[in-house]
Amino acid sequence: MNFELTDEQRLIGQSARAFAKEYLDPIAADLDHSGTYPKAIIEQLAGYDFLGLLLPEEVGGAAAGAVSYIEVIEALSRSCPAVATILTNHTLGALAVVDWGSDKQKKDYAPALAKGERLATLAIYEKGPAPGVGPDALLAARQGEHYVLNGTKAFVRNAGVADLYVVFATVEPAPDKRALSVFLVDARTPGLTIGPRLETMGLKACPVAHVIFSNVSVPAAALVGGENGGTAIATTLLAKAAVFEAAQTVGIGKAAVKHAADYAKQRVQFGRPIASLQAIQTLLADVATDAHLAWLGVQRTAQLIEDGQPFETDAAMVKAFLARVGSKMLIDTVQVEGGFGYSEFMPLPRLFRDIAGTTLLDAPADFPDEIIAEAIA
Amino acid sequence: MPKFLVLYKWTLDEQDIKIKSDDLSLDASRAKGKISDFDRNAIEEAARIVEAKGGSVDVLTYGSAAVKQSLKDVLSRGADKAYWIADASAETADAVVTAKVLAAAIRKIGPYDVILTGEGSSDQFNQQTAPRVAALLGLPCLSLVHKLDVEAGTVSVTRKLAVCTEQATVSGPVVVSVLSDINKPRIPGLKQVLGAAKKPNEEIALGSLGVSPADLQPKAVRRSAKGFVMTRKNVVFKDANPADSVAKLVSSLVSEGLF
Repeated sequence: MNFELTDEQRLIGQSARAFAKEYLDPIAADLDHSGTYPKAIIEQLAGYDFLGLLLPEEVGGAAAGAVSYIEVIEALSRSCPAVATILTNHTLGALAVVDWGSDKQKKDYAPALAKGERLATLAIYEKGPAPGVGPDALLAARQGEHYVLNGTKAFVRNAGVADLYVVFATVEPAPDKRALSVFLVDARTPGLTIGPRLETMGLKACPVAHVIFSNVSVPAAALVGGENGGTAIATTLLAKAAVFEAAQTVGIGKAAVKHAADYAKQRVQFGRPIASLQAIQTLLADVATDAHLAWLGVQRTAQLIEDGQPFETDAAMVKAFLARVGSKMLIDTVQVEGGFGYSEFMPLPRLFRDIAGTTLLDAPADFPDEIIAEAIA
Repeated sequence: MPKFLVLYKWTLDEQDIKIKSDDLSLDASRAKGKISDFDRNAIEEAARIVEAKGGSVDVLTYGSAAVKQSLKDVLSRGADKAYWIADASAETADAVVTAKVLAAAIRKIGPYDVILTGEGSSDQFNQQTAPRVAALLGLPCLSLVHKLDVEAGTVSVTRKLAVCTEQATVSGPVVVSVLSDINKPRIPGLKQVLGAAKKPNEEIALGSLGVSPADLQPKAVRRSAKGFVMTRKNVVFKDANPADSVAKLVSSLVSEGLF
């Protein structure tokens, strides 16, 4: 077993860290305060081929693999997790196209997504207890060679800035409650409107809104993976989202512990740096240990993805583990910095809000347990 | 079209080196390698000129076995081909030995129109590689360069000296060492990183260069390396009347020769 990165993986991580230091560190706090979508930064990321990192070479992607991808996500998240969220949601949308799309869909969409000329996102959640349930459910009705979509997708990230929405809808009549179908919907399609931007706790530079579909007509060729074929797509994409968000969480945790450790070396109390106090050392050691062990799990899961092996249980485990320790990493590091750490002019409050998003979204903390329990039964 | 050779050093990243508080000794056990900072500027400058005007960029390094780790990194930064000499002698080599080895290698793989390097290395900053290599090759040397242009066989530079700048031109082959403000080294994109594996690299055996064992014996031997810690006098002026404190502060600074 080899834990070493390849030269390429190491250098890609090095480039991402250099990018984050150069371009994200100076603006991360401002983005958090203003909630501005960083268009220029996303275009720069595209220039470095980060938007097509996981996409195959034949559509213009870099095909660098999941291990390289988490290196990038972790590095960006140390500086500005919101930018990593934008990138991840784009990547997941693009993966739906290249992994399940028809040849024509790949030809029509994938090259522009790989180059970052167009931004993608997933529209997967609904306001009701489950997709297809409740008054706002997104329903699709077949009408000749078209499907007509009506309803609302909730909490869509990259809302309003995405060019392509990968939309999960219930085609009526649905064979069962969990049956979903996936449609590629251009942002300019008549009847698609973006609701008011939702204020979020963290990850503020990534715009979130409900997306409303009012008699949105798309050709049958916009269907991905066949009618009612979307449940399996959602399951796989959410499992990958869990891994990518785990990489974000580890990046945030490592940034927090680095900041707190540097602070502890400089902060003198009782005549000596607080880093020499055992109580402080324990807090920092716990956070560093959690982040390190979680990272090993994230790397292992990414390697499984890269190797085409089943990874869903491992993904659930890193998700569940970080759901337990993610926020605690920030509680402990803020504790180290005391009143300074609690102040908005320091980065930890921003990271605290961001880590809530990366640990709690896309699957509640108890959801992975179900997957893990099934795997070990 | 100009043919560049950039000389670079694979050094330890100083950010990873810890200074032990008890004896100020250096702990480099967890230090990773990196391309020396000023040498990145040299690689970048050559790459930019070639991307704008055509030509080629080869790179050459001499170091311990660890230099092999640098190849994909350097090739992702715009170099077309990497030559590397990996030998244990590099671990104790002084500037004279390094220059002899590099000059011998250049005689073997050259000629080049412009031989570039950083003004000094990140670890020792001896500033001797460029002038010594130039002397051994019988070439002119331009150091402290912060602007460089190559046109029709003529190399034009602006040198940044202590109190002025100097412009100079040289015809024909030349050795140039650059300062860090000449450019901002690129962050390699994914495709540049992945493309690096497809670019050629060639190991040059030290034994093939005709360098004698005596040439590899350093004249300057490093006895020790210790961290530098700035000590402060911690003088505090806190008179009841602030004007008195200010007066004492100014007086103190004058007596220290700072005014």
